[in-house]
Amino acid sequence: MGEMRTQVPLSDLLTLSAVGLLVSTFGVVVRRSFAGWLSAYRYQSIILAGSTAVIAYETGVWEIYAAAALTLAVKAVVIPRLLVRVTGSVRDEFKIEANPFVSVRLSLLISTLLVALSYGLVRQTLASANLDVFAVTYLPVSVSLFFIGLFVMVSRRMALNQVVGLLIIENGLFLFTTALTQGVSLIIEVGILADILVGVMISALLLLRMSQTFDSFDIASLEKLKDD
Amino acid sequence: MPSTFLADLGAAALPSGWSALALTILVTPATAMALVTLTHKRRPAEIITFASILLVVVQTLGLVGGVLSQGHFSALDGFLYLDAFGALILIPIAGVGFVAAIYSVGYMRRQYDRGVVDDRHIVRYYQGFNAFVLTMLLVPLANNMGLMWVAIEATTLVSVFMIMLYTNQEAMEAAWKYLMVATVGLSLALLGIVLFSYANTNISPSAAASGSGMNWTSMLADAKLLDPGIVKIAYVFVLVGLGTKAGLAPMHTWLPDAHGEAPTPVSALLSGVLLNCAIYGVLRFNIIASGALGPELPSELLILLGLLSMGVAAASIYFQKDMKRMLAFSSVEHMGIVALSVGFGGLVGLFAALLHIINHAIAKPLMFFASGTVSQRYETKVMTEIKGVIKTMPFTGAVLLLGGLAIAGMPPFNIFLSEFLVMTAGFGSGQFLAGSLMILLLVVVFAGFLRHLVPMVFGSPKRPGRFIPPDAHPEGDREGILEAVPMAILVVLVVILGFYIPQPLQVLIRDAAQVLGQGATP
Repeated sequence: MGEMRTQVPLSDLLTLSAVGLLVSTFGVVVRRSFAGWLSAYRYQSIILAGSTAVIAYETGVWEIYAAAALTLAVKAVVIPRLLVRVTGSVRDEFKIEANPFVSVRLSLLISTLLVALSYGLVRQTLASANLDVFAVTYLPVSVSLFFIGLFVMVSRRMALNQVVGLLIIENGLFLFTTALTQGVSLIIEVGILADILVGVMISALLLLRMSQTFDSFDIASLEKLKDD
Repeated sequence: MPSTFLADLGAAALPSGWSALALTILVTPATAMALVTLTHKRRPAEIITFASILLVVVQTLGLVGGVLSQGHFSALDGFLYLDAFGALILIPIAGVGFVAAIYSVGYMRRQYDRGVVDDRHIVRYYQGFNAFVLTMLLVPLANNMGLMWVAIEATTLVSVFMIMLYTNQEAMEAAWKYLMVATVGLSLALLGIVLFSYANTNISPSAAASGSGMNWTSMLADAKLLDPGIVKIAYVFVLVGLGTKAGLAPMHTWLPDAHGEAPTPVSALLSGVLLNCAIYGVLRFNIIASGALGPELPSELLILLGLLSMGVAAASIYFQKDMKRMLAFSSVEHMGIVALSVGFGGLVGLFAALLHIINHAIAKPLMFFASGTVSQRYETKVMTEIKGVIKTMPFTGAVLLLGGLAIAGMPPFNIFLSEFLVMTAGFGSGQFLAGSLMILLLVVVFAGFLRHLVPMVFGSPKRPGRFIPPDAHPEGDREGILEAVPMAILVVLVVILGFYIPQPLQVLIRDAAQVLGQGATP
């Protein structure tokens, strides 16, 4: 793919967007407030849509353009607005991660290690496959997003943060799919996005009810159900 | 193939290209959901839901007949596909859906009379019920594995919605954990599915060009050629991901909470049907992985997870206090047995696994219905506070005892039959250690069930105040028949299937076992 003319700028563009995705993910890791996480997530989604558009341009598949547009609309606009609106009535102290299970400094270190691990893993497991330039650039990033999202989910106390972690995982998944298989068919893409959207709506509804019933969004207060 | 009534029915109803039309089974619950939303009243919602699920049962019988006569068929350009394995999974969806719909009416009316729910809740409940049936029906019908994933994720969302119908703290906690754990698990599964599809498009330019790389039939056609390195990782991802949803240990942590806190008819659907849909997904990929890697590794993984699930469940059942959580852990145990049986393999093992899916789908809803009725009357789920059910509610007490003995694997009930077949398969395939461990764990489960069940059924009611006699709610007992009918249907099935499997079902299971065994045969 690509003639000589586009070769150099393309790889630059890919590297740049990969860096942007990682930086925005770290934005979620280092910030303590819900507004901070959301804006980092929004940047991440915008860059993700941009990366998708680049893949669409290079491969010339119109379905990937549509996927990029949908990503931009749903993940960069609808989901952040929805979450802001639902949590509007919640007191500020429940939106701030004051005392995470793992300190922010240590989280940053672990996240960096996770990125390194992702690059190593992808290189090792997919060594035999002949990957194209998109896969080479984006696969390690997508696996990093997956790992860091998972780490954010388990290392924080605020239930809101678990939603953000889940959204990062979903972004990683989307990048993985698009980079590896040049996008699954559009109807599946739409189905996945619909699932994410409904999932965010349900978790927002649940959060709202929890904020009315429990005193906080602290997941440590979710401990009634266990076997003893 | 022997001519059977159902096959004749199928051949008559589906002469040729009609099979695609039969896939309109998805339209039925979708329409019902729309109608419930439009009418937005309690009584019409009950009637619409019942009519819809009755139609789904008829459509399922038609599809089963079609599969028996034609083998398999696809629709919508290969997007949907149905073979014997898929048809077998459709049966519990329609069947349990049917009894759960009847039970729902009685159960929700009583909740309404007790003031637990209002009209709005009930309309939402029936909207959710139809949506739940719709998403579950889509799982065995999807040929595109991405579509199957979308359907399974949708079942999570709908069932979370139904668990949080009651806004008490426990239900919300259960719903939250379920949503988070299942969604993360399913994300892993999607990674695996994408890797499978990548492995497929990598070696099959035609699949890549036509965009059918994610279709199960296309993967199966190329199974032997797929890159084993990629398939190995992909299968582990799918197994962990869908295994989470299927409640296999150690990914089962959300299950007892969710199944324990859901409204009883929903618990019956979650345990009796939804787990099958998830394990169905695992087994679909097991066929591909067995083809690409050879059967050894996938079988060993399934045996390992199966035994682990049985072990965790046996311990938790023995020391359990909460009646519904005990039943939830029993589901973990039975999904473990299914995984174990497929791991044992061979035609006997696969046949036993599929028969066990059906048997569990009959016995578990029965137990949930009985325990739901009991806990509604005693207003507790703590087993030590429930005594002498046989005296206070003779019918439900008898059902509880019978169902409990059946689910614990006592002969001559249906679960015993399939468990015995699983053991036969285990020793037949030379897995003596796994087979012996299975017997040991079954004994622990049996002892655990008996330990809880006997005082509940036969004990003398210690605290009479705990039991709310029917006449305390003069309005409340009116619908007792709506709870007794579904239980009676299931009891009859539990007993009959213990010594007699109708021939069409036998043929269907055998065909489905052949589908499952496709990967392992050279």
